[in-house]
Amino acid sequence: MKSSMYAKRIVVMLTLLSLVVLAACGGDDEGAEESDPSDSEGEGTETSEGDGDMLVVGLDDDPPLLDPHLSTAQVESQIFLSVYETVVTVDENLDIQPGLAEDWEVSDDGTTYTFYLQEDVTFHDGTEFNAEALEYNFERILDEELGSPASSDLALIDTMTVEGEHTLVVELEEPFAPFLAGLTHRAGQVVSPEAAEDEEVDLSNHPVGTGPYQFEEAVAQSHISFEAYEDYWGEAPGVDQLEYRTFTNEDTRITNLTSGELDIVNRVAYKDIEQLEEDPEIEMSYEDGIGFQGMMLNTNRAPFDNQEVRQAMNYAVDREAIAEVVFHGGVNPSVSPFAPSSWANNPDLEVPERDAERAQELLESSAVDDLSFTLSIRPSPAEQQLGEMLQSMLNEVGFEVELEQVEFGTMLDNMYEEDYDVARLGWSGRVDPDGNIYSWFHTGETYNFTGSNNEELDELLVEARTSTDQGEREEMYHEAAEILWDDAPYIFLYHENDYKPMKENVQGFNHVPDGLIRTSELYFE
Amino acid sequence: MAQVEETHLPKEKIENPRVRMWKMMFGRLFQNKLAVFGGVVTFGLIFTAIFAAWLAPHDPTEQNYSAVLQGPSLEYWFGTDNLGRDLFSRVIYGAQVSLQAGLISVGIALAIGVPIGLISGYYRGFLDEYIIMRLTDAMLSIPALVLALALAAVLGAGLTNAMIAIGLVLTPNFIRLIRGEVLAHREKEYVEAGKASGISDFKLIIKHILPNTMAPIMVQATLAIAAAIIVEASLSYLGLGTQPPDPSWGSMLANGQGYLDSAPWIALFPGFFIFLTVISINLFGDGIRDMLDPKMK
Repeated sequence: MKSSMYAKRIVVMLTLLSLVVLAACGGDDEGAEESDPSDSEGEGTETSEGDGDMLVVGLDDDPPLLDPHLSTAQVESQIFLSVYETVVTVDENLDIQPGLAEDWEVSDDGTTYTFYLQEDVTFHDGTEFNAEALEYNFERILDEELGSPASSDLALIDTMTVEGEHTLVVELEEPFAPFLAGLTHRAGQVVSPEAAEDEEVDLSNHPVGTGPYQFEEAVAQSHISFEAYEDYWGEAPGVDQLEYRTFTNEDTRITNLTSGELDIVNRVAYKDIEQLEEDPEIEMSYEDGIGFQGMMLNTNRAPFDNQEVRQAMNYAVDREAIAEVVFHGGVNPSVSPFAPSSWANNPDLEVPERDAERAQELLESSAVDDLSFTLSIRPSPAEQQLGEMLQSMLNEVGFEVELEQVEFGTMLDNMYEEDYDVARLGWSGRVDPDGNIYSWFHTGETYNFTGSNNEELDELLVEARTSTDQGEREEMYHEAAEILWDDAPYIFLYHENDYKPMKENVQGFNHVPDGLIRTSELYFE
Repeated sequence: MAQVEETHLPKEKIENPRVRMWKMMFGRLFQNKLAVFGGVVTFGLIFTAIFAAWLAPHDPTEQNYSAVLQGPSLEYWFGTDNLGRDLFSRVIYGAQVSLQAGLISVGIALAIGVPIGLISGYYRGFLDEYIIMRLTDAMLSIPALVLALALAAVLGAGLTNAMIAIGLVLTPNFIRLIRGEVLAHREKEYVEAGKASGISDFKLIIKHILPNTMAPIMVQATLAIAAAIIVEASLSYLGLGTQPPDPSWGSMLANGQGYLDSAPWIALFPGFFIFLTVISINLFGDGIRDMLDPKMK
């Protein structure tokens, strides 16, 4: 099915091309000029009348898993915020705000958290949300059988006590600074206990939460639709119908936005930013991102089991050129997991200029003969462009790089099985710096696909997450970033900035640096 | 027997009938202006492909980050792409990929299709009727590009695999064509005569039937080259053909798709060359068909 669609697309493409050639030869532009304004007028009326009650969000990938406790992909988080709610939330300054917990207290020693929950909250299946439901959710995430990637956020929970209908007391084994920050994300997302226990519901494909929207249907590689939840406890969403549509190709995605199919898009190619900013029908919101991007090296495989080979990679890449050529200056070159805006960022760790000689020296001294490997990239034009740049830079110093395009879902599968050489995979980032480093680089943690194990780093990371003194933590993260640069299990390349283009009639957008679209706040003018 | 030959006539004055036939046929070809155009362009492209290394002013894979997305200029005739590579050089090297894909995949199709077609048509019977023909029917029922996509996906991305996939897709056409020709020829007197005089089947097929089926095979092969070039471009466009950084017209087209507004030349030039090549080969192929058609005057 998919292939025939592709085939059609090619035919259309070739036809269009020959038309372009013919039109260029013909030189009669009048017809084209006439048709343009009438076209856009027609679409304008359609948007305000036909789609007025439906908010359509364009996504860059098909969300593979709709269970927040099993999810690892950022694109899924886009959807979770519509259907699920978190214990606490985060605002545009990354400060913690009330969510399903209207208030909370933290004991002075930093080990006891008391959550006072909202009353009159119900799940979409009609069951009630209370302290027991929250306890169930925490237990579900911690259940080893489920294997939730979010469990690291809750791993230090010692005991939980339900004190009355709407109060939950959580005791931690030791202080854990990122605890509340973790609850703004997947670990804090609350699913209906009844739906989770009922295998027929199949939570992975049929989410049941307390959020402003309830799930309607999901069609793979096409759309996921929601409708406003009538009994929602908070303010009703601005638009009744909500639909997410997947366009993996960034050009198609943007075309669908400018043509009026989509109202807002979660991700945009940097090359299109300038053009979109000039478009009078498009509003562009901009915010510093909190994630990191780069190349993941499989340190269990040759040649990346050799530290010097990994370090050579660090010097072989030209981060400035990448930022300029692929991202049109829209990203910040980087060598650390922390974004420049983060308090954990180490200002002394400067991005070095490309040093091909140094890279070659390191490769020579490593005495590794076979420097061939496969670089896995996702099938998008920008990824392809970045991939070809990396290939050219690395080949120049002596590597032999083969590029391989892999769908995102497959790439994640390969990561978990550690069946890859090098993968172009990054992280959307977390509110607390711990979320950008611990599960990625601590030995044996969820996203440690590099297989790296560095005892010094492990100790430091554990210390940093249990300390409640931000000044102390800051220093520890500075040191951790230096260790990562030296050990080089991951080649940090750049920090993304988050751009969200939307139709000008879309209002109420609140740009939180986590890059997630809070759909219920949006309304049409 | 020897005396009967026209030994008394001066040999040089009489044109060899074979030469006369060729002259007539080429005369027919040269009268067809479109075919001449097709032929000239085709041979020009072959020349370009062979001498790509001398003709290309730049290394087709060299990235120049200070000259990204530049329009056509004296330095870069066709402009540069999103990695600052010279599109003129890439188009020239792309001709190599395209013609290689066309020739090799048709070669594969011929290598498999001709023997099977000959055997199938000559011996007929169960194998022909129920196995080979039904298999070709099955393959022909699937659109060529879809089948090539499926095969290339199974074999894995890459130019070599793409050529194998395209070759396999083209094969049933040749089997059918040759089988049909052989069916017509096997009833003819010269075959009967050959059989009567005790020539082995193998010799009869190779030495007598095959040469008589050459004309339609040649025409079909020429047209198949054009089809193969399109399919290779399509597979590369979808990322299953030529792998980066090697230039293929198809992948260049895909690369340019995102820049149709800002840098249309990236897609325009490879697109135009695919168009030009395919139409030239088709025109040339049509010309050859007319040239070889004995009914044409």
